[in-house]
Amino acid sequence: MSPFVKNPNRPDLAALQSDSDYDAIVVGSGISGAIIANELAQAGKRVLIVEAAPETDRTYEGYTEYLNHFYGQSAKDNQSPFPINPNAATPRGSELRKLDPLETNSSSYIVQSGPYVSDTVYTRVFGGTSIHWEAKTPRMLPQDFKTQTVFGQGRDWPIGYEDIETDYETAEREMGVSADVEDQKYLDLKFRDSYVFPMRGLPPSWLDEQVAQGIDNSQVELYGERYALKVRPFPQARNGIPNPAYDGGKGFEPTSAVASHQIDIGGRCQGNTNCVPICPVQAKYHSGKTLAKAFETGRVDLLSQAVASKVIIDDASGRVTGIETKVYHHVSSPAYKTVTLRARLYVIAANAIETPRLLLASGLRSKSGLVGRNLMDHAYLLNWALMPQICGTTRGTSCTSGIVDLRGGSFRRSQAAFAVDIHNDGWGWATGSPSTDLVELVDDGNKFGRDLRNAIIDRVSRQLLLAFMIEVMPSESNRVTVDPTYKDPLDNMRPVVSFAVPEYSMRGAAYARQFAKTLFARLGAEDHTHYDPSNYGFIAYQGDPYEIRGGNHLAGTHIMGSDPSTSVVDADQRSWDHDNLYLVGAGSMPTIGTANVSLTMAAIAYRSARKIIATLNH
Amino acid sequence: MSAPNDRLELFVALSAALTGVKAFRLRGTGQAEAYLAAVEAIVPWPIIDDLFSQFAALPAGDALEPALESGILADPRLGAVARNLILLWYRGAWSQLPPAWRASFGSSAGDTNHVISSAAYQAGLQWEIAGAHPVGARQQGYGSWALLPAGEDTP
Repeated sequence: MSPFVKNPNRPDLAALQSDSDYDAIVVGSGISGAIIANELAQAGKRVLIVEAAPETDRTYEGYTEYLNHFYGQSAKDNQSPFPINPNAATPRGSELRKLDPLETNSSSYIVQSGPYVSDTVYTRVFGGTSIHWEAKTPRMLPQDFKTQTVFGQGRDWPIGYEDIETDYETAEREMGVSADVEDQKYLDLKFRDSYVFPMRGLPPSWLDEQVAQGIDNSQVELYGERYALKVRPFPQARNGIPNPAYDGGKGFEPTSAVASHQIDIGGRCQGNTNCVPICPVQAKYHSGKTLAKAFETGRVDLLSQAVASKVIIDDASGRVTGIETKVYHHVSSPAYKTVTLRARLYVIAANAIETPRLLLASGLRSKSGLVGRNLMDHAYLLNWALMPQICGTTRGTSCTSGIVDLRGGSFRRSQAAFAVDIHNDGWGWATGSPSTDLVELVDDGNKFGRDLRNAIIDRVSRQLLLAFMIEVMPSESNRVTVDPTYKDPLDNMRPVVSFAVPEYSMRGAAYARQFAKTLFARLGAEDHTHYDPSNYGFIAYQGDPYEIRGGNHLAGTHIMGSDPSTSVVDADQRSWDHDNLYLVGAGSMPTIGTANVSLTMAAIAYRSARKIIATLNH
Repeated sequence: MSAPNDRLELFVALSAALTGVKAFRLRGTGQAEAYLAAVEAIVPWPIIDDLFSQFAALPAGDALEPALESGILADPRLGAVARNLILLWYRGAWSQLPPAWRASFGSSAGDTNHVISSAAYQAGLQWEIAGAHPVGARQQGYGSWALLPAGEDTP
């Protein structure tokens, strides 16, 4: 099915400002905002989506502009398809540098106040970071919801796995997840008896098979317990072959590319090895697919190039009365008009940095004082090696399999858990390969002619990159703040991030490094890992060098709980302080375990949508 | 100076020797004219002329590669340009010449790191030679990543 996208724009600002008949205003068009807008619209509610970025990629032609921009960029970093927009800036790793002790660097959009400099990013375009995301969709483990009770670490969720299991299924349908349930039953993960994923799992890569041959059925010992290792496929929100057994035998129809005309792409992953930063064929889910359905109802309007600048509160009731929004005319000019938009209920879904930024800029810290605090992201440790044989690296979808056996276990009392990705795209993330390999071979190795050709095959197609995604627990000192010293061209305060990688995570990182060496030894692979002290992510821990990279899995800044004095939102993501305000997204997650956050974020968005609809119907 | 067609032919012959990829395959990328135009816009003409005439004078056959190394790649003036030609064909992008070269032999406004065009990026030899495809383009199809890799390449 190729969704046809309607034009939902409301260009007349005066008419929009006097329109008091919206049931909800949703700030942000990413996954959470799209799901809530669509659920409300399907229930007959009228919604206005406010998006900071231009709506370029709402159309197929606009989406293709991003792709062409990507082809033409000399440095193909993870934001390279997306043009510079100072009015709603997107953080870029290329802006970063190492900080001196106590130094604050305000030259990048996110003001880095240290001590650790994170290269974590999000994308401010129509569809948010769902245009950029990799689309790996593991569920959190049941044990992840109660890490304080079970391991004495982090915080418990106010809800458990069983409370959102059905919402996980709904999210897997909406995002179009490809996986085989038999591969996903490990540790304490469980699925409803007859459950199958919408589409069959993507085939593991040849590289995955080579790694599996070396390590399947081997074991590691950790704090006296043995863990059997196995290479397993990850569930992915990328279109594969529909499972005829889905939905009690009704099957599943994948959602392909969004366009205003018939277009025959995106029905199945084509192996572009480019999930991040942009899937050329839209076989990867992005929120535009959900928004196309929402716009189709005729009940969802869009105001783009509109940066929410202030949440206005009625002091007596604590209720939100409007959202002050700055609407700019062009990305190249800071000229804007301010409008106040009103609805019965407000949903902020701007991501775990922009949502607290907006609240704090509005003077709303919550009674708990926790807005912006407990910022989390996965800490990535990269390990790279050359396999003894040609493995066909740099083919396929970005990642198909990994090692997930150490996502859970009693060792979590002492050190962080991790999941390991086997990257089909080689050393690119770590070294800039294959481009840097070529420069090295030609400029330093003086290779040319036939020798060079053979050296390229030998160097590139044997590459193995293992990315360890290490859990980070909430810590109140890891936080987003604002400061009137640091503003963007629209006079909005920019986010200031203070972050330190917790000791618990570094213990996990230290073990991860040893674990990688063990795997490389079992595979007969030549370790090429090196961590550069001049890199902004460099950390010396117990005398050993590490480089920790951001995971773009931002979470925790408006944390969910059952007590208003120790959390910002309740289990439905409703603000404890403002009863017609919902703060939705990964920012509500009290912990993130070792699951990429988007699937869980989508699941809790369905939960919130039910609550919002019930409230509006009341 | 040689006639334009001869110049393109010479450029492709030189490129084939440098890259280790046959002229026929280089022509097949559709980028030969664009790359020659890029080089001519960036590198001073006397240097290009010297590069071409030096190459034209090299022996053919098995003696070519050693002669290319000593006669061109080891030459401080021509070597950096020749290495850039290799990178150009493999990546579809021009790399800025080394600072020392720019100081000695001149720098032009166009001598910056840049992708020649979207098509050139996609035609970069690095991907095909490695048995892969340009990231984000010329996709190999659903499930192709599970197949036995090509391995050994032929020029």
